[in-house]
Amino acid sequence: MKLTDFLRDKEMLLLLHLVCMCLAAAFLRLTGYSRTNTILFLTLWLLLLAAWLLVTFVRRRKFFREAQRILDKVDQRYLLSELLPDSIRLEDRLYREMLHRSNKSCIERIRQIEEKQRDYKEYIESWVHEIKAPITGIALLCNNRRGIAAQSTISQNVESSGQTASETASVSKTDYLTISLENQKIENYVDMVLYYARSEEVYKDYLIRETSLEDVIYEILDKNHLLLIQNHVQADVNCQSTVYTDRKWVAFILNQILQNSVKYRSENPLLRIRAKRKDNSVLCIFEDNGIGIREEDLSRIFDKGFTGSNGRDNGRSTGMGLYLCKKLCDRLGIGLFAESEYGVGTKLYLEFPVSSYIKDVREARV
Amino acid sequence: MHIFIIEDEQLIRQELKILLENALYQVTAPPAFASVTHVTQQVLDTAPDLVLLDINLPDISGFDICTQIRRHMDVPIIFLTSRMSPMDELNGLLKGGDDYITKPYQPPLLLARIAAVLKRTQGMASREITLFTRNDVSLDIAKCCLSRKEQNVDLTKNEMKILHLLFQHPGTFVSRMDLIEYLWENRIFIDDNTLSVHVAKLREKLKSIGVEDFIETKRGMGYRI
Repeated sequence: MKLTDFLRDKEMLLLLHLVCMCLAAAFLRLTGYSRTNTILFLTLWLLLLAAWLLVTFVRRRKFFREAQRILDKVDQRYLLSELLPDSIRLEDRLYREMLHRSNKSCIERIRQIEEKQRDYKEYIESWVHEIKAPITGIALLCNNRRGIAAQSTISQNVESSGQTASETASVSKTDYLTISLENQKIENYVDMVLYYARSEEVYKDYLIRETSLEDVIYEILDKNHLLLIQNHVQADVNCQSTVYTDRKWVAFILNQILQNSVKYRSENPLLRIRAKRKDNSVLCIFEDNGIGIREEDLSRIFDKGFTGSNGRDNGRSTGMGLYLCKKLCDRLGIGLFAESEYGVGTKLYLEFPVSSYIKDVREARV
Repeated sequence: MHIFIIEDEQLIRQELKILLENALYQVTAPPAFASVTHVTQQVLDTAPDLVLLDINLPDISGFDICTQIRRHMDVPIIFLTSRMSPMDELNGLLKGGDDYITKPYQPPLLLARIAAVLKRTQGMASREITLFTRNDVSLDIAKCCLSRKEQNVDLTKNEMKILHLLFQHPGTFVSRMDLIEYLWENRIFIDDNTLSVHVAKLREKLKSIGVEDFIETKRGMGYRI
């Protein structure tokens, strides 16, 4: 609050005083008071007015500075009306009352939305758990039927080598395979929903443990083996490092990266997964020889909804996979970087920090 | 080996039963779960070697069943569930579960973990045969070599796994897809073309110990020995 602003605000009051002073001076002069007495009277008036203005200004400034300070300090600014310093002024009290009422409705509204959002999130989570039962059922059924179809193909062929019979059997076998693959896609999309719903609150849902990177990678390769075999992918894994992290989340992140590698593959796809120990971290390098990412797209692949020229050509990209990966990596303290040469391949780096505390404890034990 | 399945989803129960029976386990899978005591009594009466337990059952909780069973017997219990929070996992292990597998599970992985738990709890020696013979040719898994009479030839890991599966199904065609799947289960991540290369190399090795046409190829069917 500046003095000039304050005075401009009191413009009308000052004008009133000026008019009164003129009138009083004229009256005094007309009723025969001497010039000096009139000047003395007016000076006294001016001094009193100045003192009053100054005191008001200082007190007002103090009040607003205090309010400003409170506003800067609290993180929920809409609670200001509860925290304003007491004031004897009527205007302050009235404004405060109004502020109070308006904020109350605002807070109620926020509560409502928060509650709605929580309900929705809980529903999504329980829905994901429910949908997993039929997905499991379909997966098991396809797996079992595929085995039976295979046996019947062989036995029929050995017995009669009947062309038609074996053909129908082999058709149904590939059908089961297709269903399995599609089912796995559903599973993957469902997982994305779950992790997206949870990504805001990673801290509520993780368990940091010593995790073997190799085990996690074998797990996701196992999980996707039908997809990978179908697409003639070869993989070369050499990651004998252990890291401290949450296994489930890392498996999800690596699975998304793997899905991308398969989606944007080129001829003779090959995945090379390596781990490298560095001073304060373990680097997991996930390399493919796919179609790569254009240089101008590379800096934006982790943005939400970004599909790039690859995604547009492919027409199946949602721009969510890598965005989620980046988000989860940030929450877990894992570094995620990409390097790519268009037409040659893509390398994704996951950098797991190694806590110096854990290292110290271990060395002390050794 | 007798496995008891407690699972309320009819389809999963039925398919799980088929899967386990194909893997040569004896399976009991009751269709109804009236109450904790009822289920526990059924388990006690059957006296299985392993229990597969779903956590979300209608009206009752798998954790309670686990606690009840643990009071009476020491049978290994594996939780199968679609819940996956660390709290649930911890809860399961604290209540006396031996393993915790989340849905949807990979059938080979499920079988492997069942076998691992059984092996651990029963001290069951693995029944795997390490020496196979067919038409004078023998495959020694432990030594990783192929021999005929006095002649030996060393195999690479990949070649041995290919032969291993073929020797397990003598006289029948094994499709290329099945072979590749088997290799992937054994952590050899190769594709179609590489498989052909390995089979060609195997044929050469067989030739070097004087065996020809040991591996038979049929278009669209696969390989047979």
